[in-house]
Amino acid sequence: MCSVVVENLAKHYEDLRRGRIVALEGLSFVARPGEVFGLLGPNGAGKTTTLRILATLLRPTSGRAVVNGYDCLTQPDEVRRSIGFMSVNTAVYDRMTAWEMVEYFGLLYGLPRDVLRARMEELFNRLRMWEIRDVLGAKMSTGMKQKVSVARALIHDPPVLIFDEPTAGLDVLVARALLKTIAELRDQGKCVIFSTHIMREAEKLCDRIAILYRGKILAAGTLPELREKYREHDLEELFFRLITQVELENGQPTVAHQESHREPCDRDAVGTEHDTHTGSPALNRPT
Amino acid sequence: MTWRNVRIIFAREIRDQLRDRRTIFMVAVLPVFLYPLLGLSFFQIAQFMGEKPSRILVIGAREPLDPPLFENNRFCEMFFASPAEARLLELTFFREEPEDHGLLRAPEGWETLAKEAITSQDFDAVLVFPPGFAGELARFREEIRRQLTAHFPGDIRNPADTHFESTGSKDHDELSHSGGIPPGKGQPVIVARSAIPSPQIYYSSAQERSQTAYNRLQRVLEQWSTQVMIANLAAAQLPPEAARPFRLEIADVSAGTSLQGAAVWAKIFPVLLVIWSLTGSFYPAVDLCAGEKERGTLETLLSSPASRKEIVLGKLAAITLFSMATAVLNLVSMGLTGWLAFGNLPQFSAPPLSSVLWLGLALLPTSAAFSCLALGIAAFARSTKEGQYYLMPLLFVTLPLVGLPMARGLELDLGTALIPITGLVLLLKTLIEGQIAEALRFVAPVTAVTLGGCLLMLRWSVQQFNREQVLFRESERFDLTAWLRYATRRRSVPTPALALLCGVSILLVRFVLTQALARTSLTLSFMQQALITQLVVVLLPVGVMTGLFVDRPRETLLLRWPRWRHVLGAALLAVALCPAFSTFKLWVTKLYPLDPAIAEYLKQLSTSVPDWPTLLFVMALVPAVCEELAFRGFVLSGFRSGLRPLEAVVYSAVFFALTHALMQQSVVAFVAGLVLGMLALRTGSLYPCVVYHAMHNGLGLVLGSITAEVYRQHPWLESLASWTEDGLMFRGPIVAAGILAAGLIVSWMIPHSPDRPTPEHDAD
Repeated sequence: MCSVVVENLAKHYEDLRRGRIVALEGLSFVARPGEVFGLLGPNGAGKTTTLRILATLLRPTSGRAVVNGYDCLTQPDEVRRSIGFMSVNTAVYDRMTAWEMVEYFGLLYGLPRDVLRARMEELFNRLRMWEIRDVLGAKMSTGMKQKVSVARALIHDPPVLIFDEPTAGLDVLVARALLKTIAELRDQGKCVIFSTHIMREAEKLCDRIAILYRGKILAAGTLPELREKYREHDLEELFFRLITQVELENGQPTVAHQESHREPCDRDAVGTEHDTHTGSPALNRPT
Repeated sequence: MTWRNVRIIFAREIRDQLRDRRTIFMVAVLPVFLYPLLGLSFFQIAQFMGEKPSRILVIGAREPLDPPLFENNRFCEMFFASPAEARLLELTFFREEPEDHGLLRAPEGWETLAKEAITSQDFDAVLVFPPGFAGELARFREEIRRQLTAHFPGDIRNPADTHFESTGSKDHDELSHSGGIPPGKGQPVIVARSAIPSPQIYYSSAQERSQTAYNRLQRVLEQWSTQVMIANLAAAQLPPEAARPFRLEIADVSAGTSLQGAAVWAKIFPVLLVIWSLTGSFYPAVDLCAGEKERGTLETLLSSPASRKEIVLGKLAAITLFSMATAVLNLVSMGLTGWLAFGNLPQFSAPPLSSVLWLGLALLPTSAAFSCLALGIAAFARSTKEGQYYLMPLLFVTLPLVGLPMARGLELDLGTALIPITGLVLLLKTLIEGQIAEALRFVAPVTAVTLGGCLLMLRWSVQQFNREQVLFRESERFDLTAWLRYATRRRSVPTPALALLCGVSILLVRFVLTQALARTSLTLSFMQQALITQLVVVLLPVGVMTGLFVDRPRETLLLRWPRWRHVLGAALLAVALCPAFSTFKLWVTKLYPLDPAIAEYLKQLSTSVPDWPTLLFVMALVPAVCEELAFRGFVLSGFRSGLRPLEAVVYSAVFFALTHALMQQSVVAFVAGLVLGMLALRTGSLYPCVVYHAMHNGLGLVLGSITAEVYRQHPWLESLASWTEDGLMFRGPIVAAGILAAGLIVSWMIPHSPDRPTPEHDAD
């Protein structure tokens, strides 16, 4: 059974200076319970756009996204009840304590107070948040805020978890702890969609990976499958090779050349090239 | 939607705001301390706020005046309420030197001197007594005395036997004819010719000091002028009462009651309530919407199961509460401070106690209305800074609506009750003045308009919370070139922005052309003006914009060949709805009566028509073609490409209405615009709209030409309509039958209406 099904997802929008921007085009993938599905790509690849569509924060221009059996476009309320969403853009309230913040969202998720309390105590134990129970958001460190965000995302025990670059801005210790938590969630049977541009994280955590570039999936599969297919062991090299190949096919400067001239978050419009996506892979996690 | 989520969000927002020091300061601390501090400061500063004396140059007062005006180089103290007041005028008497060569003999001389004295800022005002003033004044009085003695040697026993005539000033003429006995044979006539030159005051209206000096001088001279009049009457052996035989006695029926002085409070309280409700709602709204976007917590909230509507309602409730708290704390603090500081002053009358009740009742709807408005604007802003910029335009729009009720002569009636904000303020004003019964008549329309406005703004807020461009757009550098290029590039159909631009252009061209024609010496007939208005004001902007920005003019202007049913149906629809529109027109005119001068002008216009074919061509056909091309063609197509069809119809109807010169016409035009818009949507063609519009105008002209005499000459009209002082009024059953017929005609037309797709841009 698939927790998340994405079929030919596309997202376009107008920019005053650059005209029509194609953020996503023909995106298709499937994520299952008990696995971490990684979206790997550079800044501006379309990872955040994809995850925001899954979290019903954005509406796709075309295509379909189904989360836990609910359509993102027609059943957004049910989708949001089924997911825990955490991203760089989901901050904590400055004037709420950790306890208040988690409780607030627990109430919005419809948890009865007694169940909510029990759940909160369990989460605070698990994530070791008792020290920051009564600390206001404005006074928290980045790591503390991250813990609160994780707790907020988990309070209602959703079957699907969406993490958009969750380790951004974290130090190595906190990041490591967070990745460990995500792995534990996977082991509990959750379907986790995890986006990152850090290859190492993808290698360590993801069961399957989709490499995203300029709104399209260049390749998808488990890490061994990708390595075998492209005859490249190093994920970073594999990634660069795929991008270079795409750009050569499109007659554009190669990534190596562009790297020295690229500005962060530069999202140029994609031309009318055909989709290089390899189709929805029905891949199994290796035993 | 669940109210539980609304309550949860509301509780969180309240708690959050109460933890914000800035909010607590603005809502609670500032009002509690500000007014008492202001009151304290007022008394401290008051000592420095004494009035400055005015410097007056007096020219030509060398001869003594009778009665005296000056003593000890000042004005006589008898003309002032107190010596302190007398000291506010410092006099300097001009001494003419031999080298001035008779400067003061001619008016030009003292005029030049006076102007120099004021512009050099040596003096605030100049008082000039022309040469011979004192002498002529004395001579005039002497003449009266001499003639009286000549005609009536000894004392006059009966002053009523004497009739006085004088030539000269108007005041003298009034004296002679007021209550006097007309001259008859044998009665003596005393004539005293007045050649007294007028004293002059020179001042500068550009300087406040000079204006103050002028006012003070004027008061003194009026007092002195009265003394002169009394002296003249005495010379004529008449008592002072001859000029003022009775005094007015004034009795205030509300004196001693709780409503004494309520008129002043009735103006102050509603304005204060509105201002504090508005400012108390705006800052929390910006913080709760735009501020949350900036802080990054909005995405967190949006990813929760709470729907956009629940989020908006929860925030709205919080904003309303803070708005109410701000208003209450400020009013209470201001009121208490005022009572403590000025309560003992005899001229101070406390506000009526009932005003507390009315303010309390008005508090929630006022705060809710402004909270909805503030939320709608704040939801659109991308940052706190941007949100705060919107406060000023909001004030510009709101304050005139608040200030309008303060104008003399504007009272609460059905017309004013329907104006948003103004109606609410007038209702409160009427209640505070104690006119409860009068106010209760208009509670329903005021409530309906206020509630309607709140619901519209609420809907707008929810829409903004659903718009990705608003929720996720970030600050960007404004690039004028890029924006212009984007806005003006050619498309298959216009964008909403171009539709808006077209509508605004039409209004601007109308304004400029009207002013330009008024300033030229060109005399145009009414027909010529009407034609120019249509061709230049309406058609020209549409033609230019269609040519410049649109690739598919036929599609934009709906120039599709219609089905015959649509054309026939449109014509029949116009006939069917004619009674309803005629009645509506009369009702609007009753609600908002035309200025009599304008009504007369319109009547004259209608009689200056050469012949019916010309009239129908100019006033029915040409406007139908031009306005339909503009408003149901370009403007409606543009709005449709980006908005929902009904919204597009409403906005195009708004611009159509605004094109009309008179407000009364605009209201009717708006409703007609809705009908025409729906016709365009359902038929997909402009031609039925042109037919409907032409028929609508033509029938209006025909009905407008029916006079009472024509009505009497055609008895069959009686079965359709009655004749009233406002003109022909269709009977109720006829109006109802017309509306019913319209429904049937529309249902006959609709099955044959094409499914017209929404026009799309190239880019979408």
